Amino acid sequence: MKRFLENDYIVIAVRVFTGMLFIVASVDKISLPDTFAASISNYKIIPNGLELSVATVLPWVELLAGLGILVGVFFRGSALIASALSAVFLIAVASALARGLDIACGCFSQDPSVGRINWEKLVENVILTAFSFYLLFSTSDKFKLESFLRQNPPQETV
Amino acid sequence: MFRQAAQESLLIILASSVLGLSYSAVSQKGLFRAKDSAVAIANTAPSVISFEEAKTLHDSKVLFLDSRHPYEFKLGHIPGSLNIPLNTFEESRSILAAMPKGKLLVTYCDGVDCNSSMQLAAKLFEAGFTNVKIFFSGWQEWKSHGLPVEQSP
Repeated sequence: MKRFLENDYIVIAVRVFTGMLFIVASVDKISLPDTFAASISNYKIIPNGLELSVATVLPWVELLAGLGILVGVFFRGSALIASALSAVFLIAVASALARGLDIACGCFSQDPSVGRINWEKLVENVILTAFSFYLLFSTSDKFKLESFLRQNPPQETV
Repeated sequence: MFRQAAQESLLIILASSVLGLSYSAVSQKGLFRAKDSAVAIANTAPSVISFEEAKTLHDSKVLFLDSRHPYEFKLGHIPGSLNIPLNTFEESRSILAAMPKGKLLVTYCDGVDCNSSMQLAAKLFEAGFTNVKIFFSGWQEWKSHGLPVEQSP
């Protein structure tokens, strides 16, 4: 298990995949916060009136966490956020499926006709959650900007 | 390790909040655009309704919009519904312009195998209609219950 968590190549592959996924997922939500609020509302798990606040801030959290994971800046914090978010998304999709809701996922595209929630979406979220938690506990520091800066601190000029 | 992760997460959430709220203020989208009607928008975004709900709304004389091709509409449709084919949505804007934006509308197409009812609902929502419902199981379910249908000459 320890070797699995410190394997540089697996960690970098999972970082690129997960980081890119969070960045791509945030783009449509940032440009269409009102439609994203409607998608959140359809899940019927957030008190009325809070959807727009969540829709205004959450995509930016996804974007910064995705960038943090990809570039390797604030990596632990980004991985913690990614883990928490993906776990929440997983619970939301599972509960919507259990309640028989026929709604758009709102995961990537905000077009209501795209990405209806189904078992495939649930599996996608399970994988994303597993990857995020893997990154949170991973120990490889290869190709991280923060590690590079730690080893090569900027020279102070007089 | 977790102390560091928690501190970094808080910084990221703080930065995201600043970015999100600034973007909303500049772009006039999201929280600041709908500051006074956030609840209304959240409650009235297009959502899927069941057959029973569609039947109740139809009994209450709510306007149904049929997004299918005019030929299919001509063969049979839900009584009182209006044909707004998705591919000619732009041409229907003059009809829609006469309707109040808060008017309750129900979109439908053939049934679960088609998506045009959702796409029409999305277009209506974008056009400013705040009270749009989608009868997703549509025409097929309506017919399967033996309810009255209407044909155009």
